[in-house]
Amino acid sequence: MKPVEVIGIDVSYGAKKILETISLHVEKGEILGIIGPNGAGKTTLIKAMSRIVAPENGEIHLNDRNLDSFSFRELAQKIAVVPQGFSISFDYTVRDVVMMGRHPYIGRLSSATPRDLEICDHVMRLANVTHLAASSVNEISGGERQRVLIARALAQEPRILLLDEATSNLDISHRIEILNIIRDLSTEVTVISVFHDLNLAAYYCDRLIMLKDRRVFAAGEPQDVLTQETIHAVYGIDVLVKTHPLTGKPYILPVYGHTPDRQPRRGVHVTCGGGTGSDLLYALHREGFRVSTGVLNLLDTDYATATALGIPCITEAPFAAISSDARAALRQRIDAAHAIIVTAMPIGPGNIENIRILKDYPDKPIILLCGGVSPSFEDHTGGEADAIIRELLGRGAVRAGRIDEVLRILKAMD
Amino acid sequence: MRRTASITILALIGILLASMACAIIMGPASMSLGSLIALPNAWKIFWDVRLPRVIVAVLVGCALAVAGTAMQGLFRNSMADPYIIGTSSGGALGATLSIVFFAGTGRPVFAFIGATVATFTVYTIARQGGKVPVETLLLSGVALSMLLSAFLSFLMYTAGRSLHQIMFWLMGGFWNVSWDDVLIATLIPIGCLAIYFYARDMNIISLGEEDAIHLGVNVERLKQLLLFASAFLAGIAVSIAGAIGFIGLITPHVMRLIVGPDHRILLPAAALAGGILLLWSDTLTRTFAGDMPVGIITSCFGAPFFIYLLRSRMKA
Repeated sequence: MKPVEVIGIDVSYGAKKILETISLHVEKGEILGIIGPNGAGKTTLIKAMSRIVAPENGEIHLNDRNLDSFSFRELAQKIAVVPQGFSISFDYTVRDVVMMGRHPYIGRLSSATPRDLEICDHVMRLANVTHLAASSVNEISGGERQRVLIARALAQEPRILLLDEATSNLDISHRIEILNIIRDLSTEVTVISVFHDLNLAAYYCDRLIMLKDRRVFAAGEPQDVLTQETIHAVYGIDVLVKTHPLTGKPYILPVYGHTPDRQPRRGVHVTCGGGTGSDLLYALHREGFRVSTGVLNLLDTDYATATALGIPCITEAPFAAISSDARAALRQRIDAAHAIIVTAMPIGPGNIENIRILKDYPDKPIILLCGGVSPSFEDHTGGEADAIIRELLGRGAVRAGRIDEVLRILKAMD
Repeated sequence: MRRTASITILALIGILLASMACAIIMGPASMSLGSLIALPNAWKIFWDVRLPRVIVAVLVGCALAVAGTAMQGLFRNSMADPYIIGTSSGGALGATLSIVFFAGTGRPVFAFIGATVATFTVYTIARQGGKVPVETLLLSGVALSMLLSAFLSFLMYTAGRSLHQIMFWLMGGFWNVSWDDVLIATLIPIGCLAIYFYARDMNIISLGEEDAIHLGVNVERLKQLLLFASAFLAGIAVSIAGAIGFIGLITPHVMRLIVGPDHRILLPAAALAGGILLLWSDTLTRTFAGDMPVGIITSCFGAPFFIYLLRSRMKA
């Protein structure tokens, strides 16, 4: 017996299809998140579950009982909805609005019992609005109004709480405050919530349903649903999915650029390290170059960046010198690349091989990315690195001060 | 707050009773308790003219105020009123039809049918995606009223002998009131009571229709019931006293400022205040203005008030 089970519903507004063959269920005491881009049908799904819109096909069950068989009052005792906000033309007090949550329990000809008043006081304390009880709902802030709506929903003593982006209009502290209240309830109450913010969804939800183009695209636990691939497919943007260091939940970082959709540009190999190449790797990746990098050790920041961007990278164990295997792989990459870019990294015995190898390629275009007039590498090799750099420059390597200069030089080669 | 509300209600009841007493005494022929016993003529005026007239004026005032309150709650905007959204015009057309074709037989029934049809028509026209925005509501009310008054003019043009009767009745007044009208007016408390049973639902629907469904209100049924009951009240009021405007607009608005928006208190307060307001408007006109139709007076006060509301809404 599931608190809510949606079985293959279709919903249309007039001729326009909004949802197609949606199926989902939620377990008791679970928080289920509904995510997806604008227009995917998230709000409509909430509306179908609260019987604001009627599905054309399929059925919705609450504890194995068809949603349609409930009377309005019965349903309001089982399901409460927290909308995005509300506008009201009359000056009801906060207490009046919260008391309206008791409506489904009070008979037509009777008035509120002491128990109703008690519940009203209790939920106002839970939602932290007791001090506002006598204020008009039109005079309090957006965050406070949202808490009033939560109190009203809780006054219904629901088994199921539906939230339609209930926290979208709030600042980050109020969002967390309200979601914490809801999470603390979720032992007794089953929660289904629409989220715009994927990170909040990842943190608060036990499971996620991802909608795309009217259908369920992915469903499961947050770490399975929120991947680079699904987010790219559904939202059309590139993101990095990390693990939040404190919560262990997936954490999504947008790659603030548009997706490379043109023909891949030429291959470029980046020789970098110590975080000096991260910006460049990102810029080249965004511009659509076929980028490779290495040799980098596994603890290097640039290695993390390359992995996150999906850039092939030749690696070496930390604190080890470059092995012959790695050197062979590097030669392959350099052969395949149209140009080599060397960033102003610290050079020591561990990575000198990265530039020493370049002496063997007199005809490869080489760009040195370094600020200032003279190349300023941190040389820990007693002068060898410096000598190599000078030799490369003497053979025609180009110096660039900034990343956009590098891009301009590369584009000029096309 | 609950206490101030009951005090207000009690005070209104007191004012209403006192006003009724005053209204019976006041008039072109003023009377006292002594003359009532001494002169048979005075008794006749009291029993056949003043008493039914006072009772009907109070009840019609109640009907218009309660219909206005219900519509304002239902449309979630404080500018709705049976006169403005065309209910009264529909009622007037219905009543006129009965006067022209059936010599006034079944006037309340015709008025009620006209009022109901007009109300549901405006509601259907103004409704956009489940909502009834103020602007479209007012505009469709105006448009329908214009159409209905064209029909009305046509009827009057062809009416011949009954033209004068229609004209006078349309301006709205109580000069012709008899005990028969009191009998019809007893339906008014029934309509008011029906609406009062749904006072709590009306509080909830003013949060919005979807929220009301979430809170267990059968919104579609409530809307139909409220529209039907308001049309019923307005139809009876129109059939008795013609088209009297703005009582249904002003009273709920002022009462909301005094007792707050809770319909459980607002409805009785507006009903009492509506009765008092219309009673005094009628008493003053018949005493000092030679029994001029009271509709003229209420519109003279009501229209500027409406403009004031419009202006303050624009500022907000």
